[in-house]
Amino acid sequence: MPMSYLVRMPPNKNELLRGTLDMLVLKTLAAGGPMHGYGIAQHLQRVSDEVLRIEEGSLYPALQRMRQRGLIKPEWRETPNGQRARYYTISAAGRKQLGESASTFGEMVAAIARVMGTA
Amino acid sequence: MTARLRELVARVRDFFQRDRLSAELDDEIAFHRAMMARDRTAGDEPRDEGVGRRFGNTTQIREDARAVWGFAWLDALLQDARYAARSFARTPAFTVVAVATLALGIGANSAVFAVVRGVLLRPLPFPEPERLYLASYQPPEIAPRMQISMVGNDFIELARATRTFSDLTTFALGQSTLTGVGDPVRLNTAQVSAGFFDVLGVQPAIGRAFDASERDATGPKVAILAHALWRERFGGDSGIVGRTVLIGGVSTTVVGVMPAGFAFPPDQSVWMPMDTRIRPGMQMRRPVIGRLQRGATAQDAQAEIASLAPKFVPDPTQTEAASVARVFPLERLLVRNAKQLILVFAGAVLLVLVIAIANVGNLLVIRAAGRRHELALRTALGAGRRRLFRQLLAENAVLVGAGAAIAVPLAYGGTRALLAFAPAGTIPRGESVAVDGGVLAFTLATAFVVCTVLSIVTAVSQRSATSMALAAHQTRVTRARRATTAFVVAGEMALALVLLAGTGLMIRTFAGLRAVDLGFDTSRVSAMTIALSPRQVGTAAELHAFHHDMLGRLARVAPGGTAAMVNWRPLGLFQISGTFRAEGHDGSPGFMVSKPAVSADYFRVMRIRMLAGRDFTERDDAGAPPVAIISSAVASRLWPGENAVGKRVSMSDKPTAADWISVVGVVDDIHQLEVRGSTVPAIYQPYQQVTQPLFLAQMTYLVRSSADAGQLLPALRAVLRDVDRDLAPMSLATMDDLVAETRQEPLFQARLLAVFALLALTLAAIGVYGVLAYSVAQRTREIGIRMALGARGGSVVGMVMRQTLFLAGAGLALGIGGAIAGTRVLNRFLFSVTPTDPMTLAGVSLLLAVVALAAGAIPARRASRIDPLVSLRRDGD
Repeated sequence: MPMSYLVRMPPNKNELLRGTLDMLVLKTLAAGGPMHGYGIAQHLQRVSDEVLRIEEGSLYPALQRMRQRGLIKPEWRETPNGQRARYYTISAAGRKQLGESASTFGEMVAAIARVMGTA
Repeated sequence: MTARLRELVARVRDFFQRDRLSAELDDEIAFHRAMMARDRTAGDEPRDEGVGRRFGNTTQIREDARAVWGFAWLDALLQDARYAARSFARTPAFTVVAVATLALGIGANSAVFAVVRGVLLRPLPFPEPERLYLASYQPPEIAPRMQISMVGNDFIELARATRTFSDLTTFALGQSTLTGVGDPVRLNTAQVSAGFFDVLGVQPAIGRAFDASERDATGPKVAILAHALWRERFGGDSGIVGRTVLIGGVSTTVVGVMPAGFAFPPDQSVWMPMDTRIRPGMQMRRPVIGRLQRGATAQDAQAEIASLAPKFVPDPTQTEAASVARVFPLERLLVRNAKQLILVFAGAVLLVLVIAIANVGNLLVIRAAGRRHELALRTALGAGRRRLFRQLLAENAVLVGAGAAIAVPLAYGGTRALLAFAPAGTIPRGESVAVDGGVLAFTLATAFVVCTVLSIVTAVSQRSATSMALAAHQTRVTRARRATTAFVVAGEMALALVLLAGTGLMIRTFAGLRAVDLGFDTSRVSAMTIALSPRQVGTAAELHAFHHDMLGRLARVAPGGTAAMVNWRPLGLFQISGTFRAEGHDGSPGFMVSKPAVSADYFRVMRIRMLAGRDFTERDDAGAPPVAIISSAVASRLWPGENAVGKRVSMSDKPTAADWISVVGVVDDIHQLEVRGSTVPAIYQPYQQVTQPLFLAQMTYLVRSSADAGQLLPALRAVLRDVDRDLAPMSLATMDDLVAETRQEPLFQARLLAVFALLALTLAAIGVYGVLAYSVAQRTREIGIRMALGARGGSVVGMVMRQTLFLAGAGLALGIGGAIAGTRVLNRFLFSVTPTDPMTLAGVSLLLAVVALAAGAIPARRASRIDPLVSLRRDGD
């Protein structure tokens, strides 16, 4: 039953947001290839038409978390301008996670839309 | 689940790389910041109001990331622990007392637990030990003992017919001398019947068990060695099998070595095969051990032995006193005596731990009161109640952790000391007692429990401490806390009194044993016991000659001294008892007598009172008419009111005319077997008229002189060396020492309990001191006012001492009740004193009261020296 997604939502609001942020980062890396933290933030802002602004205070802990879980792989590289930056690449596990999150998210959005009568 | 595990692994890995990760994050943030600054100046990006303060809080990001990398709680805990350590360093006296108290309490418990585990909890080192039983068939009044349970011939019959036991075995214990490998050494040897190793389910680690041909007395002489003997005497020689060694002067082939830790019967070094064949008339009893068939019960086995009993070779000496069939679990028998003793120690040591916890708890409460300004300050600075509580928990953990860490070596040393000081046999299965992982786990668990209890105390006292910090209902809280701590200290004293009472009872038991009139006098008597090996045992005539020669040489050792001998000395390892016949009585007189073989002058040397008739002389030899000296109990039971001298007795069951022995004297009864029991009736014979070589193979030579008995011992040893260089004495000691040995066990019990009791007493004294010192500190202002108003130092001292007396009184009242209820567990260890002995209780109560008053005197003195001016100027405490 579609309603069940709402029930299954984690009680902690941050958890939900955190999961969504992870998904956005993974999607960004899956679509745009290796990117550094600043690039990820810029990309998300641009793609969402300036709607989504990622707080650095959330982004870097999120990157650390995903690194730890093996979803992304960090690597120090030179930027085109010759600066040193940490680039992140999505891993196989990350892609798998992204697939799961995306479908869950899609179903949830659809369910919410139905509840709101907009579907 | 594996994902969880992987995450945990990653987390742990990151935890240890925190420094590197942190540096990288800083670089990353610096880059981010640089990019942001560039974009802003370049104007590529639209500026918005957020950008400027976005990176205001790098520290926050790092904190959040840090939470990802590791264990925030661990960081916090380490921080708390560091803070706790600093805080303890500021109060060294408190810290030392608290840690030492906890270490002693936990350490003593761990040591005793090591013993409990090794002796009582660990299964016997045999497969399925619960199927092993001692099979016995003997008169009901004989307690089940390992030494004897069944007549040898009955065992053979039972082993042949049994259906409830899968296998049965018997064994006989002995001693022998191993020569040719270093110094001659006396070894405990066990002769074991066929199936011994099968019954136990343990085979030699090297070599093999005995085979059928070796079980015959005429077969080749073979032996299996204990692992320890093999290691110590043969250097763990892997080629030992087949080697020939000299045991009891007989060359014996080693066929195997038992695995390390195999110790059955306990303390054996050598196993040799036993010849088990029916020997008509042989009434020697031996232990019989059987392994029950799977599914068979103890009742089945008992019923089977009973049903087979009619087939057993009838015992001609056994008259009406019918034997009964019983079986006993081997496990229980091996630890039978030790179990209750060890449980008593466990109880005692637990009391010590309770006192230790109470003491430290009280100290913590007092300390919390002293720190209320610090706690109030930290609260004012924003520390939440939970945060402060966590801090206090960390302090407890540090305290208990330090105590437990010291407790481990204490437990190790304590266990070693316990085993070393315990007289032989007090703690069986000593080889399985060790401070190992199980004991460490126990130490940890104990520490955890202690920590939990202390934390509850802390929680309660913190609540009042913080509310006291508000200085609102200070007096009420103070009074409630004083009442609580006083109650706890009274409880401590009560527990200490229980232990003191137990110790007092054991000391009185020891004193009671010393006061027993044994019937003989051991002062200035030196004793040397020898046991001749089967090879050396010749005919009776040869043995008479050997002992006669020894006696003659020994008589010359001390000028003016007297030498005598007895085959089985009083209070030795065993006595030969048996039935007899008496003139004028049909059948057996209905009681057994001890039957020592002695030389002339034995009664004089041992100072056994001669009541009638004459002593033996040198002329009572093999060729002379047989004579005997009986003890007064024999005389009064056989011929009450008559003169026993001139009557006749016989050691034979169907005496012929030549078997009758004339009574020539009557001596006092003596304690032949044990100090605790009663005297044993005895019929003495001159050794030269004893014709069975077996009864002459062991002999204790005694020399009484005006010289110190101990100094004479080397001379005795020298005499033996002159006679036979290869003969090692079985024992060489003064009779005083040999008798003292029989009191070793109560002495050990008294000492061990005394250690625990003194520990408890010391802790209780610290408790009394702490409470009163605290009380005086609390009342400094009040006392100051009293003194300002004219109270004298003496009356202030009186005030504090009244408080002490009140504490001690409450403790004594509780403790006497506890002691009356608690010391009953000692009942079976006591001698000549009852568990509720008023003298003992009064004595230990007095001791406790004196110690309590002494502990209270220090704070009382301090109170009397309070300077009113200083105390009044101080903020009221």
